[in-house]
Amino acid sequence: MESEPLLLAELKPGRPHQFDWKSSCETWSVAFSPDGSWFAWSQGHCIVKLIPWPLEEQFIPKGFEAKSRSSKNETKGRGSPKEKTLDCGQIVWGLAFSPWPSPPSRKLWARHHPQVPDVSCLVLATGLNDGQIKIWEVQTGLLLLNLSGHQDVVRDLSFTPSGSLILVSASRDKTLRIWDLNKHGKQIQVLSGHLQWVYCCSISPDCSMLCSAAGEKSVFLWSMRSYTLIRKLEGHQSSVVSCDFSPDSALLVTASYDTNVIMWDPYTGERLRSLHHTQVDPAMDDSDVHISSLRSVCFSPEGLYLATVADDRLLRIWALELKTPIAFAPMTNGLCCTFFPHGGVIATGTRDGHVQFWTAPRVLSSLKHLCRKALRSFLTTYQVLALPIPKKMKEFLTYRTF
Amino acid sequence: MDGEKKTYGGCEGPDAVYVKLILSDGHEFIVKKERALTSGTIKAMLSGPGQFAEKEADEVHFREIPSHVLSKVYALCMYFMYKVCYTNSSTEIPEFPVAPEIALELLMAANFLDC
Repeated sequence: MESEPLLLAELKPGRPHQFDWKSSCETWSVAFSPDGSWFAWSQGHCIVKLIPWPLEEQFIPKGFEAKSRSSKNETKGRGSPKEKTLDCGQIVWGLAFSPWPSPPSRKLWARHHPQVPDVSCLVLATGLNDGQIKIWEVQTGLLLLNLSGHQDVVRDLSFTPSGSLILVSASRDKTLRIWDLNKHGKQIQVLSGHLQWVYCCSISPDCSMLCSAAGEKSVFLWSMRSYTLIRKLEGHQSSVVSCDFSPDSALLVTASYDTNVIMWDPYTGERLRSLHHTQVDPAMDDSDVHISSLRSVCFSPEGLYLATVADDRLLRIWALELKTPIAFAPMTNGLCCTFFPHGGVIATGTRDGHVQFWTAPRVLSSLKHLCRKALRSFLTTYQVLALPIPKKMKEFLTYRTF
Repeated sequence: MDGEKKTYGGCEGPDAVYVKLILSDGHEFIVKKERALTSGTIKAMLSGPGQFAEKEADEVHFREIPSHVLSKVYALCMYFMYKVCYTNSSTEIPEFPVAPEIALELLMAANFLDC
């Protein structure tokens, strides 16, 4: 790995016009739209900022020669006219963009159903403190729908990648809910089973599986076809707070307050590896080991790297096949991270409402990995094991070897 | 197949040297040598000590690759171009698409060629 992640830019929220003691300033979520044209960030004080991507030139020095946090690289809330500010009225915990551009079948559908609010545009779902979910049109900043049902904080949201406008929400009320935005946001299913707060949800890119993780240390895998529980993944020793599928749906990673990220085969439930987040410089006593609690984990777009944010003030980059991180960057109070969909940049959000953009490893995938990704996008682990190919090739295809 | 319908950002040099890849049924592919060297196997075949007859001519015979892998060899050559083009540049690397119907056999070839 050539170098540590460099800080490209940092955005800070503008001074809120009315400081409300009940609202908080954390950036609980950051997100890029799937086509990479927008970035959203819940900057605290009930505000979500939508900014077009790439960022305006003035915020990123040429040739990525960014030094850390010089005043040239900050913006204080003013910016391009296309920026949108969404006032959600209460703390925003979860964010998700719908897939865009929508497939042609979707546009045809929208034309034949003019009475339904036009959600065949890029929308952003926001998960709020009292359980409501607000759906906003990105281009205009207009509120389209209000979804009610959850009884407590909506902590995470996920749209089906297929563009079918089915939305999944995860809540502290211990349920997940399925909403159909084609039907005025009708709630079509409640998924019960978790015993504590549900922290996160993620839908596999092939739309077949839903992963949810909760405070009781378990990770659940649900079928997105029947909305029933497929299996429970046990292994974490504390609350599981973040989960992500690989781009080919073949791997699932989960992150926990127990300082570990576990990589699973979602088809068989097997644990493939654990990534331990230990301190870079060990403390004099053992008392600080617990502060490596994980906050967020995400896959890079080509599926070969992971980024993690932990309470020990580090952003770590991991290569899948290695047991230790390949790079670190210091960041205080990190809460969330996500990769830019075309690679090259990682966005992180912090407790004080800031977001940072970091350089991500520049990856030229081997042809072997490109073929594996293409195959695993439609083959389950069991289908791979049934192929008439050598054992070593099966091990490679199922990510047992790299 | 005429080889290079699609190019990656104008990275061909003016004095290119070519090698010929000959498949088991006699089909031939002519590829720029620089790109063929992406494959560790081809590189070894072209420069290794005496075991492979190809050392003198710029020809590589693939006795193991049967003719139905033809279309995959084309994909291989495209990958060689992609890799050489983006390895030494600093531009954003686009995705290299692999059609699902050839992915399995292309994987076998990629495994054999170590690329």
